[in-house]
Amino acid sequence: MIAAIGLLIGVLAGLLLQPDVPIWLEPYLPIAVVAALDAVFGALRAFLDGIFDDKVFVVSFVSNVLIAALIVYLGDKLGVGGQLSTGVIVVLGIRIFSNVAAIRRHIFHA
Amino acid sequence: MVADTHAEQPALTPGSSRRTAQEPPPQAVMGLLNYITATSLDEDYAHVSEQRRRSGDVTQKRRPGTVGMAVLAVFGVLVATAAVQTSRNADQSASSRASLVSQVNARADVLDRQRTTAQELQREITALGDAQLASTTEGRSLESRLNRLGVLTGATAARGPGVQVVVDDAPGAKSPKFMVQAPDLQKLANGLWTVGAEAVAVNGQRLTSLSAIRDAGSAITANYVSLRPPYTVSAIGNPKRMGADLLDTSGGQTWATLQSFGLKFDVNTEDNMLLPAAKRVALRYAHEPERRRP
Repeated sequence: MIAAIGLLIGVLAGLLLQPDVPIWLEPYLPIAVVAALDAVFGALRAFLDGIFDDKVFVVSFVSNVLIAALIVYLGDKLGVGGQLSTGVIVVLGIRIFSNVAAIRRHIFHA
Repeated sequence: MVADTHAEQPALTPGSSRRTAQEPPPQAVMGLLNYITATSLDEDYAHVSEQRRRSGDVTQKRRPGTVGMAVLAVFGVLVATAAVQTSRNADQSASSRASLVSQVNARADVLDRQRTTAQELQREITALGDAQLASTTEGRSLESRLNRLGVLTGATAARGPGVQVVVDDAPGAKSPKFMVQAPDLQKLANGLWTVGAEAVAVNGQRLTSLSAIRDAGSAITANYVSLRPPYTVSAIGNPKRMGADLLDTSGGQTWATLQSFGLKFDVNTEDNMLLPAAKRVALRYAHEPERRRP
């Protein structure tokens, strides 16, 4: 419940305030969102597994976002930004899919 | 399926009797994709809950607290910002595309106008040149020479009687043997030149001394323009003799042979044909006559 409220507050704040993203941060925002999505789905699965932990969630969220952005930044500097982004998206995508599959099994018991 | 991989993966089941201490770590044995799928949940969750169970911590803190809520709020802001940013950028790129399109159209209009102006000026130049030449006897002879050379070089359009040869592939031709090839058209055009044609054009492409009839893939090109069958070769010259004379040339004989393969080869005389001028030939070399030099 408290999680849903937090999410709602965040989305509303984002939509109402519409913060301006600095131009240097713009390329990393989408990949950061995907990384955050992975952390959130992981947390949801852990919650349903009964092993959720606040600290682990915070750490995994922050580190996911930072590492994803860092990889893209590094790739941009090395001239392989596009390829590295693809790699990050593929790995995170696989994780998201398998986490969602686990969540689905928890909810529908199927 | 996916969640059970923990149990199914042999590398993750500990305590197998055959396994030695030097067993490589699971990520080395499993393959990348399997490993990613198997560890899609952060291992820290299992690790921490294991630790807690071991230390006998019974205060089950399994619900997200204020910190979790804050992080989720941050996540919400992140998602909303990314979405807003993307839609904003989409607007921008759409409007910039529209402005680019209008710029392209405006430039195309300018180009059209300038082309028209150039054509008008070209006509004016020709008219002035003709008037200048017609005003003197020397000029008139020069003009007639110019006209003759213009017809021969393909610089000007040519009009007059002549023959029209229509050739085509054999009906339902499958193999190249029964199709018109570039060398066949070359022989035909050369034959027409041999029998005294003053101007020759293939499907409206005027042939000059710089023209090439070539195979380009499956099509034949003349002046680097693709031609489609049937090929109409028009030649201005003496209509009474050219048709008959053509059959005596090697080109005509080649076509007599090809005709026996079923290829179409019709020669007609025409009273009045108009062959267009060849594409403007760029002047590459010129010199002033000796006597005009100071």
